Amino acid sequence: MPTVVLMDVSLSMTRPVSLDGSEEFQRKNLAVHGLNMLFEHMASNYRLEFTALMAFSSLWELLVPFTRDYNALQEALGSLEDYDKTCIEAALNGVNNVVQQEWGSGCPCQVVLVTDGSLGIGKGSLRHSLQTLKHRGEDKKFPLPFPFPTKLYILCIANSEELQMTDAMDNLEHLLCLSGGDGQIFTMEGPLCMKSVQAMFGRLIDHAYSPFHAVLHCGNLSSDVQVFPRPEPVVVDEEVEPMPRAVSTDLEIVGFIEIADISSPPVISRHLVLPIAVNKDVDEVGAAATDELEDEPSASQMAGKSPNFCVLLHGSLKVEGMVALVQLGPEWFGMLYSQADSKKKSNLMMSLFEPGSEPLPWLGKISYLGPVSEAAENPYGEDDSKSPFPVQPPAKRSYAQNVTVWIKASGLQADVQKILRNARKLPDKTQTFYKELNRMRKAALAFGFLELLKGVADLLERECTLLPDSAHPDAAFQLSHAAQQLKLASTGDSQYADFDHNIVPMHTDFSS
Amino acid sequence: MKMFSVAHKTVFVVDHCPYMAESSRQQVECDVLTKSRAQGVIPLAPVSKSLWTCAVECSMEYCRILYDVYPKDKLVNYLVSDSEFHILNSWRREDQSTHELMSALAAVGPPNPREDPECCSILHGLVAAVESLCKITELQHEKRTALMDTAERVANRGRIICLTNAKSDTHVRMLEDCIQETILDQNKLAAGSDRLMGIQQCELVLVHIYPQGEDTLVSDRPKKEISPLLTSEVHSVRAGRHLASKLNILVQQHFDLASTTITNIPMKEEQHANTSANYDVELLHHRDAHLEFFKSGDLHMAGTSTRENGFKETVTLKWCTPRTNNIELHYCTGAYRISPTDVNSRPSSCLTNFLLNGRSVLLEQPRKSGSKVISHMLSSHGGEIFLHVLNSNRSTLEDPPSISEGCGGRVTDYRITDFGEFMRENRLTPVAESSHDPLRKLPVERAKAQLERYTRYWPMIISQTTIFNMQAVVPLANLIVKETLTEEDVLTCQKTVYNLVDMERKNDPLPISTVGSRGKGPKRDEQYRIMWNELETLVKTHAGATDRHQRVLDCIVACRSKPPEEEERKKRGRKREDREDRAEKNGSKEPEDKSWQDSERLKGLLEKGEQDAEVIKDSPDSPEPLNKKPRLLVDEVQPPERAKGPVSLLSLWTNRITAANSRKHQEFMGRVSSVNNKFELYQHLKEENGMDTHENGKASR
Repeated sequence: MPTVVLMDVSLSMTRPVSLDGSEEFQRKNLAVHGLNMLFEHMASNYRLEFTALMAFSSLWELLVPFTRDYNALQEALGSLEDYDKTCIEAALNGVNNVVQQEWGSGCPCQVVLVTDGSLGIGKGSLRHSLQTLKHRGEDKKFPLPFPFPTKLYILCIANSEELQMTDAMDNLEHLLCLSGGDGQIFTMEGPLCMKSVQAMFGRLIDHAYSPFHAVLHCGNLSSDVQVFPRPEPVVVDEEVEPMPRAVSTDLEIVGFIEIADISSPPVISRHLVLPIAVNKDVDEVGAAATDELEDEPSASQMAGKSPNFCVLLHGSLKVEGMVALVQLGPEWFGMLYSQADSKKKSNLMMSLFEPGSEPLPWLGKISYLGPVSEAAENPYGEDDSKSPFPVQPPAKRSYAQNVTVWIKASGLQADVQKILRNARKLPDKTQTFYKELNRMRKAALAFGFLELLKGVADLLERECTLLPDSAHPDAAFQLSHAAQQLKLASTGDSQYADFDHNIVPMHTDFSS
Repeated sequence: MKMFSVAHKTVFVVDHCPYMAESSRQQVECDVLTKSRAQGVIPLAPVSKSLWTCAVECSMEYCRILYDVYPKDKLVNYLVSDSEFHILNSWRREDQSTHELMSALAAVGPPNPREDPECCSILHGLVAAVESLCKITELQHEKRTALMDTAERVANRGRIICLTNAKSDTHVRMLEDCIQETILDQNKLAAGSDRLMGIQQCELVLVHIYPQGEDTLVSDRPKKEISPLLTSEVHSVRAGRHLASKLNILVQQHFDLASTTITNIPMKEEQHANTSANYDVELLHHRDAHLEFFKSGDLHMAGTSTRENGFKETVTLKWCTPRTNNIELHYCTGAYRISPTDVNSRPSSCLTNFLLNGRSVLLEQPRKSGSKVISHMLSSHGGEIFLHVLNSNRSTLEDPPSISEGCGGRVTDYRITDFGEFMRENRLTPVAESSHDPLRKLPVERAKAQLERYTRYWPMIISQTTIFNMQAVVPLANLIVKETLTEEDVLTCQKTVYNLVDMERKNDPLPISTVGSRGKGPKRDEQYRIMWNELETLVKTHAGATDRHQRVLDCIVACRSKPPEEEERKKRGRKREDREDRAEKNGSKEPEDKSWQDSERLKGLLEKGEQDAEVIKDSPDSPEPLNKKPRLLVDEVQPPERAKGPVSLLSLWTNRITAANSRKHQEFMGRVSSVNNKFELYQHLKEENGMDTHENGKASR
């Protein structure tokens, strides 16, 4: 989930923070300190996150486009300049553009807005933007909610008392609400100083940027992993199941399926599964190697050299062209597979299915997938030539069962012509002729279209009179038999108009 | 859409009064004469559908699309109304199919024009519709049971679609009032019943149908709220294709559908088989398949066009060659069932048959800029066609560190092939719910249990294992992981063990890994000991399962402890073989009587079922005895530990590796002639300079 850091560089950010007896800081310095801390944290614990840095006042500027280079981000923080007034609406429009250009409209994003709670004055101020919300044309709509799912974190270099003295807090809450409500407003606790700004950014880090660690199990084989990006809790149906479901920290493999069988399933999110060396192991290694401190990377080298289940699993999934079905929680599943980034690099990936007992109709209920060894006969065949998938639904869809639709005249004409075409080829086409005739009959009866039955009966009788001399004598018999049966059905008399009844060919014997 | 939105329950109420038997006055020519046959033949008079036929076929089309896109839990209850109401099906899942409904409609037949119009009314049906909405569906029942104390979260909403010929706007108002009253009455009744639910929201969609060429007596009216429980809207439509397109729009609105037109489908011409023309096919599906277009606002860019009478919009996507293969795992963010709008037209059925035969088609978004963006894929699974939405944006996961750079990435001898085999054995298969014994664990839990059994002892790398590198062990290794064993299985396992004993007697080589060591690796005896230990470890993890598993373990324990004479004889034989080896290493020979004693002790210990490390160390074939070569510091620490209990696999392994390594190089002078593992360095310096030197305590490192 990419992050956009939106930094307020309006004049008000240069307000000094009064501290007794120590060096004087501006609010901007505090903000920069906090962001540096965030970037440092991400560089070491969340380094796959793409982050962009934007500065705004009445205008906005993209200082660093999306990158994983946290040094670049920190450098840019070091050279911020001061501008005029705060204009959040324009800045949010900027975020919208930048994100959509890079990631499209489907990719969830986090926006970290750092401001001092003085939200501008007059036109362009947040207050003004919110007041005019309802009186806008299509082309000047307020940028929130963004088209992409957003988590909006507002970090105020101010404490909540200060914000509540004006309507700043109300406006920020309104803003959060407009963005869809997903996010949080952070304020500083206690005096404005380095310590409290650290505490505030610390809360943001815990809330949004702590890495997701889990244990991947396959029976007794297991591996500690980091799942990146963090899987977000999911609400299935806000009415029936309002509690969000979170991915368990124990990921349990339940079995394996061929890629062709799982067949490009829809997923709600994708994550890298990165094996990690657990701390206690590292500690042990560290303790044993205290006297060779100069060999600093030894811990990671050791980790690289000791066998890890993820690597084994990845290798085999890749070679076999299979995926592992993994349980993420009660009635929630996902799949693990090898994903190649380029020709050389490949990785273990996890995709999450929609929570529920039957996320993929072609697998059936996942709780009813069992081991092949229990099947009476190997469903994959002795030579792997068969597959128990896809699971067939109990009923066929309309396009798979030759339904009759006469809404357009052409549909009706085509069906009648088909009968006539076969009628002219009697007795060779007797079976098809009656099949088509009965299909038409059924539909006409269901639709109460008795007039059609009479009409087709007339047509068949006419065909009978038009038969060439060379025609097989059976043709005439079948045609008049069929015409007569249709006429009887067209009376609507239940004796002849039964839906499940089929007109059968007249029994004739010309062999003798 | 929520699970229990109004879309969960739809009641169709179709007017079956005598008036509906009237002709729609839309004529259909069904006798198309070809030129060659036209002479002298009087064409059949065109037929025309009745209002009833129009209403029924359009409602069936509505249901067809609905069932195609939502085969489950979007339910239809179909009623017809004349002098009384007739219920053609129920809310039950098995009743939800167009075939069921067609069959029931055929039984009802067309309206009887001679029936007394005074006794007939659509009201009978509407009252029955409200009653029907109060009836609980299977899904509502299941969810209420599952939610227990929060059962009130299960809502009861529904929609009534009434196809009738109303007399006037006043008549419509009367019908609305009547429904409102019935809802209130029924809700009171439902409050006291377990099988009924009060209606929280009802949406009435009244479609007034009138013949072509007539003026309508009822005016259109958008949705309005009659009461908090009831909303109503009125559509006044001419019978025939107008009605059809109206219901097509309604089904899209009611079930959040959208339309996609696949364009440029190459299709062989019937007449000229070697040419192909391009066709378009329109499909309906859940509108989320267009979410990306809606959100980005480039719906119009994506080739949206307004069709026919401005009624509906469709997104155009281009058929894309080459086709995709099914062993590719696309990143797909959604898959939605489709229904062709014109199901039995030739282009539609060509496309659907193509897909049903198991092929997939990628679809391209036509863009002005000319860049090719593949945004969707059509594919069938189990006879159902899905429109898959493919991610066409930049991935946030690009350029991740390769797995070979992370933990365990440097290890090169993973048992990839073996784990592949393991995965095949642990593939899943659907189990019919009917054949599942409710007393047993769910199939998926049994699958997990199987994984647990199969992985009790599963070394991940080749150099960690001997037995899994041996063909001879395969039969036993495959069987022992089973939940239960047959007598025959036990026999097979025992045979495997005997076979191993035989191999040992014949002194067959074992595939002990020599990865990283250039020498010969451990001696044969040692190899067999490692092999037996490993085999025992494997079988021990399963021995507790059943008596038969235990018998396999017993067999191994019994077979590897040999009578002393045989052991001895073998050893003597081997000694002679080994002599040359030993001579090379200047090793001193063990006194034979000592080894005799040792093997006596060995036997005793093995019979107790204990594998004592000391035994291994002291037996004549163990890695070089301590006094022979000064060894690593660790070696000195280990013996007391080892004496404590059974040897661990790790220490076995470390021993083997150190033994192997020690043979690969000439020992340091210092270490060879050290005293107590300490050796004075730079002795000559002292002599020359008279300076003190430190003893190097870390000489061994």
